[in-house]
Amino acid sequence: MKLLLAEDTADLNRALTAILTHEGYDVTPCLDGAQAYSHILEDSYDAVILDIMMPKKDGMEVLRDMRSMHILTPVLMLTAKSEVDDRVAGLDAGADDYLTKPFAMKEFLARVRSLIRRRTNYGSSILTFGTLRLSADTFELACENSVRLSTREFELMQELILSAGRPLESKWLLDHIWASEPDADDETIWFYISYLRRKLTAVVSTACIEGEKGGSFTLKERSAL
Amino acid sequence: MINNSDNSIYGPYLPELEQVRTRLMDEIERIRTDLSDRLGMDPVEHCLSRIKTEESMREKCRRKGLPETVDSALFRIHDAIGIRVVAAFVSDVYRIRDLLSQVNGLRITEEKDYIRHAKPNGYRSLHLILLCDEKWYAEVQLRTISMDTWAALEHHMRYKKKISRNLPLIEAELKRCADELASTDLSMQTIRDMILEEETI
Repeated sequence: MKLLLAEDTADLNRALTAILTHEGYDVTPCLDGAQAYSHILEDSYDAVILDIMMPKKDGMEVLRDMRSMHILTPVLMLTAKSEVDDRVAGLDAGADDYLTKPFAMKEFLARVRSLIRRRTNYGSSILTFGTLRLSADTFELACENSVRLSTREFELMQELILSAGRPLESKWLLDHIWASEPDADDETIWFYISYLRRKLTAVVSTACIEGEKGGSFTLKERSAL
Repeated sequence: MINNSDNSIYGPYLPELEQVRTRLMDEIERIRTDLSDRLGMDPVEHCLSRIKTEESMREKCRRKGLPETVDSALFRIHDAIGIRVVAAFVSDVYRIRDLLSQVNGLRITEEKDYIRHAKPNGYRSLHLILLCDEKWYAEVQLRTISMDTWAALEHHMRYKKKISRNLPLIEAELKRCADELASTDLSMQTIRDMILEEETI
């Protein structure tokens, strides 16, 4: 696991680097924001830890610039400030978590672990429902047989599995999955529900999607009906 | 029963095999006309047939450890006559299977459904062994246009694939293509069904 640590207080930087290295992370330490930003552009990291107050480029600027470059690496912000407004500004600028100095090493390490865990879970997740599997990496829907879903089919199947047993309203699906397509309507959803129903049968799954055109849709086990 | 006057592995039975092949093609043509009338569209894209060549039948006997005899070629190996029916949609494949099983004098003795359970490499097809007049065997492979496309293109690449250093990646990618085509096939079928539904309302 590669981490980038940007902290201008030399002693704290050394201490954090030592403890993270001891925990088995591969750490790149930086003493200012400009140096940190150039590393972020050139290399890829599993997580970035940014102090807010730093010379040359402060932590907030590094965070905003990396997000504007579409670099979505998880970020933990460190700061001496404990003002509510600063924390809100950091989170709004795209930070994933926030830690106020002074902090306990134990908590610091726990937050780093949680940051990396969230990312890993999202990146390589295989969702399951009974014997049905849906891979977020490959968009493969599989049971006894397998097919590859299109992007929209995958997103719809993912929502259905995440809320298995609970109904999803057509309106909610339009807002969440078809947000970028203003022309999409109940008919659109109905096509995609119909595709998924047929594909569930094709992979020999016992799962089925209940619901009528324009209404709400629920993923269930066929035997439970 | 072996008559080796012409040294063929099929003995004197080649004309009879040809007759059975012609008869099966006629039956499929009848099924096709019948379904076209009922569905308003021709469910068969194309249909091919062949009698296995002398050489490949002998090779298959050797591969299976069978003696190179008429008995092996006609009664122990069941694909001396081979027919491939390429259908428009997945549901047509099963419709044609059902109608074939109802033809007088024909019986399905074996069915391998590689559509329901695709082969590990991604190959999809419905394989039937037909027994005609309780004597002559024929293998019928039924599949959709897109399953046929995959099989044909995979066949083209088979030789080049084997000599590539990237074999595992190439095989995984071909499997992915098969699963994507299968997915598109099912989407097209769904669209067709929705159009049919609209027509009947």
